[in-house]
Amino acid sequence: MLEIRAAKKTFYRGQPDEKVALDSLDLKLSAGEFGVVIGSNGAGKSSMLNAVSGALVLDSGKILINGDDVTEMPVHKRAARVARVFQDPMKGTAASMTVAENMLLADLRSSSRRLRKGLNAARLAAYKERLSVLGLGLENRLDTRVDLLSGGQRQSLSLIMAVGGEPDVLLLDEHTAALDPRTADIVMQATVRAVDALQLTTLMVTHNMQHAVDFGDSVIMLDAGTVRLEITGEAKKKATVADLVSHFTVKTDRMILAS
Amino acid sequence: MDFLQTTIVSFIGLIPVTLAQSLILAFVVLGIMIPFRMLNFPDLTSEGAFPLGGCVCGVMLAAGVAPFPAVLAAMGVGFLAGCCTAFIHLRFRIHTLLAGILMMTMLYSINLRIMGKSNLSVFGSPTLFDNVPFAQAGFPAAKIVVAGLFGFVVFLLLDRFFKTEKGTAVRAVGANPDMAEAQGINVWAATIGGVGLASAFSATGGALMVQSQGFADVNMGIGILINGLAALMIGEAIIGKKTVLRQLAAPFVGAVVYYQLVSLCLAAGMPPPDLKLATGLFVLAMLALPSLKRTRGSAPARETIRE
Repeated sequence: MLEIRAAKKTFYRGQPDEKVALDSLDLKLSAGEFGVVIGSNGAGKSSMLNAVSGALVLDSGKILINGDDVTEMPVHKRAARVARVFQDPMKGTAASMTVAENMLLADLRSSSRRLRKGLNAARLAAYKERLSVLGLGLENRLDTRVDLLSGGQRQSLSLIMAVGGEPDVLLLDEHTAALDPRTADIVMQATVRAVDALQLTTLMVTHNMQHAVDFGDSVIMLDAGTVRLEITGEAKKKATVADLVSHFTVKTDRMILAS
Repeated sequence: MDFLQTTIVSFIGLIPVTLAQSLILAFVVLGIMIPFRMLNFPDLTSEGAFPLGGCVCGVMLAAGVAPFPAVLAAMGVGFLAGCCTAFIHLRFRIHTLLAGILMMTMLYSINLRIMGKSNLSVFGSPTLFDNVPFAQAGFPAAKIVVAGLFGFVVFLLLDRFFKTEKGTAVRAVGANPDMAEAQGINVWAATIGGVGLASAFSATGGALMVQSQGFADVNMGIGILINGLAALMIGEAIIGKKTVLRQLAAPFVGAVVYYQLVSLCLAAGMPPPDLKLATGLFVLAMLALPSLKRTRGSAPARETIRE
């Protein structure tokens, strides 16, 4: 369960280019709920995700995960509960390290790291199995450096790494936006499979209205740093791309094209 | 022909001494490599940590402390110096290079304070090189055995460490700090610990050097950094840096080859004052090589597109 209470954040406070990123934002996701976040550029989507992950320190307000207040928790401590896939495939993986080493890092996200051998046979076998689910052949490239993988492969790896430890909250930050349509589809299918199978509480930011219609239990539309609209339950199941686009105050070219 | 002969004869005569020296200085190269390659933290602390280790070791030897505890003390103090550099960078967001320059400048005064004078002779004090079977005390063979063995043990331990859970986490901080943090790794702890460890090795090099040469000098660190960097470049060119094992072996191989090359240059009659210029040019060339290659590579590519 994820709860954001009256989150406020202002950048460049008191300066001419003052920008309110989050304006008393309230949001509640029940356990296992898959929320899709939409909104135009600058609506506060990334700020909200950063606030949940801990990368952004709030001016005021609270973040609760499964009822625990994590507002003051630094990123590396919160990582035990929050996993994230970034838009940029480069960001979520360590390029100069191997696929297996990246998997190891994610595997240890919520436990303490000790002075014992990292990549043992049992772990390698487990990683192989987990990667084989993707059907991209990554399971045979455990010793390959990640910078030799394609963007789609890297993003798929990031996804497997993120869902691996069954995090309390999974954050997907436009994680298919930088991929070609076919790869984006593979990554999206893998996402839905994992979220469904593990019943992960998920927050996915997307600019793809079709994704917002097709996936998730609820659509959360942000505008000017606050939740403008929340579509849940039956209404969400019936929603169409045109419905969603009609709620945007500023229709960007991208959205019109998507509809 | 005469020139060649004298050059070769004097070079061969110098090989054992140079080898002993290079095995000691390999610790400094290691102390440069770890922040630079493993943590992506270009660091200049070694220029101050090397004499710091030497001064601490020298003072302790002069006070009658046994050689091994003296080296351990140097290591500990070096570790603290490295921690300070990393802390300055992390806390005040000062560039790593500037943090290192600040640290080595401050260490110069500290080193003088520790010794109370600029030069301290410890000739005649017991050293680590005294008790080697089959080798006469004070001769290169003993130094080669002790420094080589010590280096080999450090190499094996580091290779194991960087493959443990903790070691993998430290490498992740160097590879992608944001990702490391998102995977629950404490970037501060890993950086401070890693740079501290590296400086501890630089200080170890200083301590061994003092025991080897029989005196400590506050100026013994001048130019050590550029020498170490040159050695590292050579080592990486020979051994490579793709795996942890190779990356860790590069400083040792590089140090041995680099100091033999220097010795060869000196034997061939190169005036010692020119050495730093030559070393600097060499490092510059090694660092510039990738960008030169790229320019040359991209030109034909453009041609192909036009066709």
